Amino acid sequence: MPTQYEPFNTSNDVTTTKTLLHEVIPITGSIVSGTYADGNIKNYSHGMFQSVYDYPFLSSSANHIFDITVGYDEESALSGAASVQNKKKINLYNQYAQVLLGYTGSTADGVRKFESDLLNDGQRAMKEVFFINFSRLITKDQIKKGSFALSLGTSSAFATPFADPRLVLADSLTTERTGFKNEAGGDYGVLYTSSVGINADSGVGNIFYQAGIAVITASVFNGVEMASSSAGGAQNVSEVLTGSAISGACDALRHRIFDLSFNNTTEINSKIYFCRVGHNKYNYSSNPTYLTGGEIRVKDVASDNPIAYITTIGLYSSTNELLATAKLSEPLRKDPTNELTLRVRLDY
Amino acid sequence: MPFRKFGDTDLIRNTIVAYPKVNFFIFDGDVYYNNRPDQDGKFSKVYSSEVGSINLYEYNIDKLAGSNEFIHPFITKQSAGASFKTVGQVSYSNEFVFGDRITGSYPMTASISREFMTNPSARSTGTNPVSGDTFATSPTHRHFYALKNRLNFLGQRSQHYLVSSSLGDKNSQTINLISIPSIAYGSQINPGSVSLKWYLTGSLIGELQDIKQNGELIQVGPEGSTGSGSVAGVVLYDEGFILLTGSWDLSSEQIGLTNGGSITEPQWIYYGAGAKDGVTQATAPAGYVSASFDMSFEGHTETQVLTMFAHAARGEVNFSNNPTYIAHNQTSLSLTSSTVFEENAERIIKNTVSSSFEDYEAPFQRQVYVSRIAVYDENKNLIGVATLSNPVLKKEDQDLSFKIKLDI
Repeated sequence: MPTQYEPFNTSNDVTTTKTLLHEVIPITGSIVSGTYADGNIKNYSHGMFQSVYDYPFLSSSANHIFDITVGYDEESALSGAASVQNKKKINLYNQYAQVLLGYTGSTADGVRKFESDLLNDGQRAMKEVFFINFSRLITKDQIKKGSFALSLGTSSAFATPFADPRLVLADSLTTERTGFKNEAGGDYGVLYTSSVGINADSGVGNIFYQAGIAVITASVFNGVEMASSSAGGAQNVSEVLTGSAISGACDALRHRIFDLSFNNTTEINSKIYFCRVGHNKYNYSSNPTYLTGGEIRVKDVASDNPIAYITTIGLYSSTNELLATAKLSEPLRKDPTNELTLRVRLDY
Repeated sequence: MPFRKFGDTDLIRNTIVAYPKVNFFIFDGDVYYNNRPDQDGKFSKVYSSEVGSINLYEYNIDKLAGSNEFIHPFITKQSAGASFKTVGQVSYSNEFVFGDRITGSYPMTASISREFMTNPSARSTGTNPVSGDTFATSPTHRHFYALKNRLNFLGQRSQHYLVSSSLGDKNSQTINLISIPSIAYGSQINPGSVSLKWYLTGSLIGELQDIKQNGELIQVGPEGSTGSGSVAGVVLYDEGFILLTGSWDLSSEQIGLTNGGSITEPQWIYYGAGAKDGVTQATAPAGYVSASFDMSFEGHTETQVLTMFAHAARGEVNFSNNPTYIAHNQTSLSLTSSTVFEENAERIIKNTVSSSFEDYEAPFQRQVYVSRIAVYDENKNLIGVATLSNPVLKKEDQDLSFKIKLDI
């Protein structure tokens, strides 16, 4: 219990700061498809999405890394009563679009569509898309803008998906300051491929940074055999989207993921307290060991300056309740010949 | 959107105190945490950390550098001066310019460790270059020195804590110090929960418990064993240390329990041999693998919980802003011009009342489905959203209360 308290001057002694901590998240494609023979892939009876783990999900060690699903707009050419899980695919598209992009205000079709640019003007709509919904565990507060890269195998044969040069989808034009737009689902950027020069028509998807959702147009797989011959004949992407259940379409996408990487961001807010110790203060200790036989232990001669060693700083509320203590890595000598400013940082 | 204020009785702050059970098993130079085995994965070991370590984020499951890369953190050097603890101040200033990436690595792990101190108060010696006199410098066993003050302070709880007392002088006794990281127990080890078991070829030859809950580790078993009822050491509950000094023979069978040296009878000072202290089958004399050790205790964690009751009273919360709440294909505007914007006041709410009969629409009732509850601060900033597992039907004549719990 201190005998005196030093009040903070809130205008000079207290400040706040923010640090962005990032993590590099590399996801190898073989984890997504192959390594664990789909023991790390969870399908559900509702059939609306598929979950991917980094290890067989029956193990408590497994971490959920992302969910995959597909959807198309009701105006898509693929939409039709004959399509498998047609309503679910439409509903999923609309649900994602409502949450991430919001509404147009029109009563005809009030839900916005995903577009391959940032204009949101109803042009260049991506009406058939794959969704990759990343787990909060790995996206943390948000995906770092400009860091997303998804490498897809687009070789025509199903058996050798990565034979040709791979198609890398990246948010190449997005930086922390430019190249993104804010909508209902937060900031989002456009994914471009490395295969063609970037222009207004070359966008192939969206990446929603705070929501942690990647939207990829199915057209990147045009001309690609998405499902194997043994599983019901060779199917292109349109046939997979109409003729397969959502889980089958998710399997087809996983088969084509070579690798995936992004950086995440965690905001660490800090409050910094500058504790100023004047030359004539805190030169004495109330620690019982400071005295021996009624004399200050660290003084040999009466005329010597008193010396104290600062080991701990206590932060108190306005009603003198101890809220927190800060420990020094080693005791700091304090005597009347020196003044100290101790910087206490509190992260939250 | 209307806001509703929490009343005086709608917010409850509680603390949930939990006592998580923790077990460490030490055998053949390895430590096992909560009986978790060291599993092989497809690429490498499942846990990239050592078996027996507690992994802070449990990232990097079954990873192997080069074929399945590791997740790792980084900070960009900026004016806030933030860095990783592993980067020293000089390195931070000299080796990185603003905008540089300072990288760290995962996993971040912690485990128990053991120190065997044959002469705890030993100090290194230095030589005066002028006079040639020797003098004592830094302590050999710094952890013991660091704990001396605390041990004497806790002496008021039990005489057995005191560094020097009629019960012995720890400065000269052989000490077995086991350090437990706080991630294993939380804020303190729960008094009365500590149990240390010494097994020789699978048979229990000694068990210590803090049955008095005052930190004394008393031998409680097996029944009739040598030293039964004696105090073999102390536990520092708040700091996470176990300090053993008991040096009576628990068995007459001699085995290797130290690096090099000779075989010896099992004693409490050898408890935990192999717990990250460098003692292995290769370095210890014969018989080392006959020994195994079980350490269990309870931690103490406190979780602050804020419980909020959100009330949807009768006659309130009966309208939705969701566009689908209004029936489809209606004119939304009755008049719009450069100066006037008038919505259509005649729009019809979609009737969502379920009918039990075919081709018959049930009479309209005002009802909504509550799917989420948003919590705002006093400045109307959205600070949290509670989502229901299933939307709850709210009719106009119903009172509903939702209980929202937030662990802080």
